[in-house]
Amino acid sequence: MASPTATRTTTAVPVPVKWTLRLVAVGYVFFLVAWPLALLVQQTFDGGLTNLLDALGDEQVISALRLTGIVAGLAVVINLVFGVTISLLLVRYEFPGKRVLSALIDLPLSVSPVVVGLALVLAYNGRNGLVGPELEAAGFQVIFNSPGMVMATCFVALPLVIREVVPVLVEVGDDQEQAARSLGASGPQTFWRITLPSIKWGVVYGVVLSLARSVGEFGAVKIVSGNYTGRTQTATLVVEQKYQNFQQGEAYATSFLLILVSIACLVVVALVRPQSHS
Amino acid sequence: MSIEVSGLTKRFGDFVALDDVNVSLPTGQLTALLGPSGGGKSTLLRIIAGLDTADAGTVTIEGTDATRLPPQKRNVGFVFQHYAVFKHMTVAKNVAFGLEIRKRPKAETARRVEELLELVHLSQFSHRLPAQLSGGQRQRMALARALAVEPTVLLLDEPFGALDAKVRKELRDWLRRLHDEVHVTTVFVTHDQEEALEVADEIVVINEGRVEQVGTPDQLYDEPANDFVMGFLGEVTTLEGQVLRPHDIEVATHPVPGGVQGRVERVLRIGFEVRVVVAVADRPDVTVVLTRTHSRSMHLEAGAAVWLTPAEGAISVASGRQREAASA
Repeated sequence: MASPTATRTTTAVPVPVKWTLRLVAVGYVFFLVAWPLALLVQQTFDGGLTNLLDALGDEQVISALRLTGIVAGLAVVINLVFGVTISLLLVRYEFPGKRVLSALIDLPLSVSPVVVGLALVLAYNGRNGLVGPELEAAGFQVIFNSPGMVMATCFVALPLVIREVVPVLVEVGDDQEQAARSLGASGPQTFWRITLPSIKWGVVYGVVLSLARSVGEFGAVKIVSGNYTGRTQTATLVVEQKYQNFQQGEAYATSFLLILVSIACLVVVALVRPQSHS
Repeated sequence: MSIEVSGLTKRFGDFVALDDVNVSLPTGQLTALLGPSGGGKSTLLRIIAGLDTADAGTVTIEGTDATRLPPQKRNVGFVFQHYAVFKHMTVAKNVAFGLEIRKRPKAETARRVEELLELVHLSQFSHRLPAQLSGGQRQRMALARALAVEPTVLLLDEPFGALDAKVRKELRDWLRRLHDEVHVTTVFVTHDQEEALEVADEIVVINEGRVEQVGTPDQLYDEPANDFVMGFLGEVTTLEGQVLRPHDIEVATHPVPGGVQGRVERVLRIGFEVRVVVAVADRPDVTVVLTRTHSRSMHLEAGAAVWLTPAEGAISVASGRQREAASA
């Protein structure tokens, strides 16, 4: 669909303009993304594998990576379930307040994560939070603990699944679902056999994006976690602390590991994308 | 009676889609719901299937009150205009869907799918994905899928509407033959009067949310209840306040008793027929259709004076409401 238009555009644009545009685009991405990241990788391997081995031998780094994995994993699962449910609600049902809900879902994209963290602390802290003291009395500490970190991560990554799944649901339409119902399928049967298979690539894409976002979250988690070394410190928080403590080598190495996760996510997306069009 | 609909009313906001509709659809027949777009016929079909709910009224299918039943409990087969194929499943899996939902034994399902694919001439495509089929093939697959669950009634919503003219004609003949083989009570929605007249045992004409007439194709054509039905089933023209078919008007080039005098405005030749537009005093122009031979023998040309009379035995109804809607 786009290819004939694209060919026409490229032939219409004069050659010098074309080259200038290319140079600007490539230069922009190079100076902003590629070069700094390459320097970081170079610094990581400056003394061979020493930095990486130091980091991997450091209990603080290892426990932070483990915590990042747990928090991001939980946040992704929760966002997957709620994201798909909310998407179905937004696309397939009419209800009062639908527009408000749709607008609220985009809020995490526009609000600074630091603000998100502060708001969560205010609502759930154990001393004077809205429900925090009651929860803490019941033995469930939210703030300065992993539940709060999962909540903060969920909050910032919430729109990613929904914004991927909603357009796919709209495009697929409800014809197939109606056909399934008329053939005797119940609501859950229709969802598992018809709806989910037809939106699966949108869901996978949303999950990968929110995984990348969850792993990289810093601001909200820093405020909510309290940043206790070895207990509520995630990988991004370790990077900051190591860097400030003049342990640059380990900071670079941990950053490198985070980059690897992002690259893995991008590779998955690249593999998924063409299949969704076939 | 297989399907009994009584007092059915459905509104979409201010728009009245169905206005107190009462209709009985007989068992084992092929019934067409015919009417202009937006007349409410698809809404009626969807309410029978349970895909939409009525504001008032009841639907009874084979003696069971189905008004409040969800679609999966009505045992109806539904075929959609845009096929609604399950894109991620093979042709065989599509057809097997209803049987798998009903947890029929695997061997039985496989045998039934094979039979149905045979019936719709798609056996060699059973392992393909729907995207690899043509429109006509997809619709035949959708039909097999709907028939697989042995529905009490088969409902088709403009089943051939998205197909090109040639395939449409083929599928129409094929549907008629299929119905003669399977005998399942079938209701299909169409806005194409030729399709309805050719295929259906019985036609329900629906317009502006109301049933205009119910009858066999012959009844509808020979005894139209009003000028809307007459106009919707074929071309009409108005002569002296009577609506009749353009080929049911006799033309004379000399005064005849009771003849309406007029002057030929235009003569249009279309294949073997000739359409003559005649201007008459104080009334809209009258269209007359003649054979080419007949017209040539009378030397009809623009400006000629003619006298028009209804042919003997011509079917006519008094012109009244909705003449514009009918000719649209």
